[in-house]
Amino acid sequence: MADRYSFSLTTFSPSGKLVQIEYALNAVNQGVTALGIKATNGIVLATEKKSSSPLADPTSLSKISLITPNIGMVYSGMGPDYRVLVDRARKVSHTGYKRIYNEYPPTRILVQDVAREMQEATQSGGVRPYGVSLLIAGWDEGVLPEEEVEALAAKAAAGKEDDGEKKKITGKTGGILKGGPMLYQVDPSGSYFPWKATAIGKSATTAKTFLEKRYTEGLELEDAVHIALLTLKETIEGEMSGETIEIGIVGPPADHLLGVEGVEGARGPRFRKLTPQEIEDYLTNL
Amino acid sequence: MSGIFAINGGACVAMVGKDCVAIACDLRLGLQALTVSNNFPKIFQYGDVFLGLTGLATDVSTVSDLFRYKVNMYRLREERDIAPRTFANLVSSTLYEKRFGPYFVGPVVAGLEPKTGEPFICGFDSIGCIDFAKDFIVSGTATDQLFGMCESLWEPNLGPEDLFETISQALLNAVDRDALSGWGAHIYIIEKDKVTKRLLKGRQD
Amino acid sequence: MPGFDFSNYNRNAALCARGMSLPKATSTGTTIVGCIFDGGVVIAADTRATSGPIVADKNCEKLHYISPNIWCAGAGTAADTEFTTALISSQLELHSLSTGRKPRVVTCMTMLKQHLFRYQGHIGAYLVVAGVDPTGTHLFTVHAHGSTDKLPYVTMGSGSLAAMSVFESSWKSNLTQEEAIDLCSKAILAGIFNDLGSGSNVDVAIITPEKTTLKRNHITPNQRVPKLGNYVFRRGTTAVLNEKVIRKEELGNFVSIHEMTEEADKMEVDT
Repeated sequence: MADRYSFSLTTFSPSGKLVQIEYALNAVNQGVTALGIKATNGIVLATEKKSSSPLADPTSLSKISLITPNIGMVYSGMGPDYRVLVDRARKVSHTGYKRIYNEYPPTRILVQDVAREMQEATQSGGVRPYGVSLLIAGWDEGVLPEEEVEALAAKAAAGKEDDGEKKKITGKTGGILKGGPMLYQVDPSGSYFPWKATAIGKSATTAKTFLEKRYTEGLELEDAVHIALLTLKETIEGEMSGETIEIGIVGPPADHLLGVEGVEGARGPRFRKLTPQEIEDYLTNL
Repeated sequence: MSGIFAINGGACVAMVGKDCVAIACDLRLGLQALTVSNNFPKIFQYGDVFLGLTGLATDVSTVSDLFRYKVNMYRLREERDIAPRTFANLVSSTLYEKRFGPYFVGPVVAGLEPKTGEPFICGFDSIGCIDFAKDFIVSGTATDQLFGMCESLWEPNLGPEDLFETISQALLNAVDRDALSGWGAHIYIIEKDKVTKRLLKGRQD
Repeated sequence: MPGFDFSNYNRNAALCARGMSLPKATSTGTTIVGCIFDGGVVIAADTRATSGPIVADKNCEKLHYISPNIWCAGAGTAADTEFTTALISSQLELHSLSTGRKPRVVTCMTMLKQHLFRYQGHIGAYLVVAGVDPTGTHLFTVHAHGSTDKLPYVTMGSGSLAAMSVFESSWKSNLTQEEAIDLCSKAILAGIFNDLGSGSNVDVAIITPEKTTLKRNHITPNQRVPKLGNYVFRRGTTAVLNEKVIRKEELGNFVSIHEMTEEADKMEVDT
């Protein structure tokens, strides 16, 4: 049997490191920068569409992908690996969730499924780790009653003003109970982190320093898109245009994209990619 | 009456009220005409969601345990309680997986939607087809009698106390005309911040 | 679908062999129809679900979503129509995401027939598939054994004969949207009133290149007359042997909740 000889390529070095994973991270750190910023009412994902040659046709290239109607994803690192993960993520959101519960998975559940896929590649025989880091952005509906969410928000706001007692629930948005925007990073090792704003890829450090300066609590989606473009501007090598920048947003439900009328409870997708024209409009207002 | 559903007997009913739901079952466990137990409840609670199961008693036990496992796994994975509608879809897909070798159960789900507080009830056939109802759901060997009782007694916007009387009378009077169910009843009235469980006396014949 | 679980099959077959009759699944009974018009297609259905002679659901939904531009009307075993359409809808959504194109009606019809043929008619789904895609307007029927038809007007289910009589006497080519809705509704009404397996209301879906409009309970010809009196019982009518109340706020007596500190909430980060 062939699988008898199919051992994992990712093995411990004597010093306790998994160097294959470190190499995978190196691949990520050579990748084009991608960033994500969470706002109170949505999330923005942004990256540069870099073509190696002026002859390349950039319209066919797509780096930000829709996974479920409310979840989108961007990467830094190896494009082919990313496409595999996009397919797996879309598939698992159906087979592992929608076909069971008749609803799409919450962001964290999808993130865990993708992270599991990436972790398995670090321990399985005959495979190498994925050479990508991902930013996964999504909106969760939440299960708490509306008045309870409002009460929590009011409490958080009150806490912010007098700053006296330590806030029980911080100003953080999202959460599986409360609902709202969620932004995660997933690494080749399979570890994942929730962020308010972050960047991955070649200029991640520069971009993160910039984001730390510009990020404020209570950010609106429009401001977040603005900051995303400013951050990209700091790190970008080519020129900024609707053709060379890709932006995906998680925002209010886009009911006009639903294509259906009269279905009770149906909401449009929250995740959508901005058209080159929309990006141009943002750029002119920069 | 040589159906598999009729071996052990039993009945279950759920009703929608105003900002509340009710679910009730009888307590009989039989072996054909012989009554084995008068304390075999058919309603199971998973967090804030209630599941009633009638049919073959062995499957009632198996399926109730299976869903306790599935709901607990859901709670651990998602760090939240399962919503009634989500649970209903889980029941449906679980039953349909056994489309060609079904569990002989007639499930009933009742609960309040956590986000809106709206009442939710639904019923299933043994292969997972959901019956979303805005009024009432019946299941078990007294189905025909319960349909008649509920169709006449139920009305919209009953408060918790009135709903209790209605569902109790519907169940008690239905099972009195079914030889295979009865022997007392459990009634659950589910409201936003409390659940009331009552034990009713029934004929023991 | 990775497949069905047959683990209870032998037990159930043994019970069956001992003369136990298997329970009857909910059937849609059903009248479903579809009709192409100039610029789109209409499908319609009644809303009765039956379990033998019992009306199991007086207002069920038999028009199933496949994709925004493809809808399906289902007759036969209710669970089968529900799950078969949901499965194909899911597969078609993934297919459409990976190809970056709108799903096509022929694709949907082919996936349905291949799925149903594989199960040799044991999945009792009888479907009317309708939709508009970049290649045009389409209307198909798919039978449980996997055969398909392509026609300008179709009917299926136990009320199909009643419905077809309406089409055969009133259908003409180049219908307008309103005429098509009207014709389909009349065909369903023929099923509702002449076929015992069909009843209650008329659901209609109109699919055009721009959008799909679902008209749930488009016609409600069987509204119940309100009762003049009521049977609300006097409180205390029912004798109670025992009562137990569990309040949400008292749940704390059974479960202890610890607030996590910020520090403990932090995720483990590898170095």
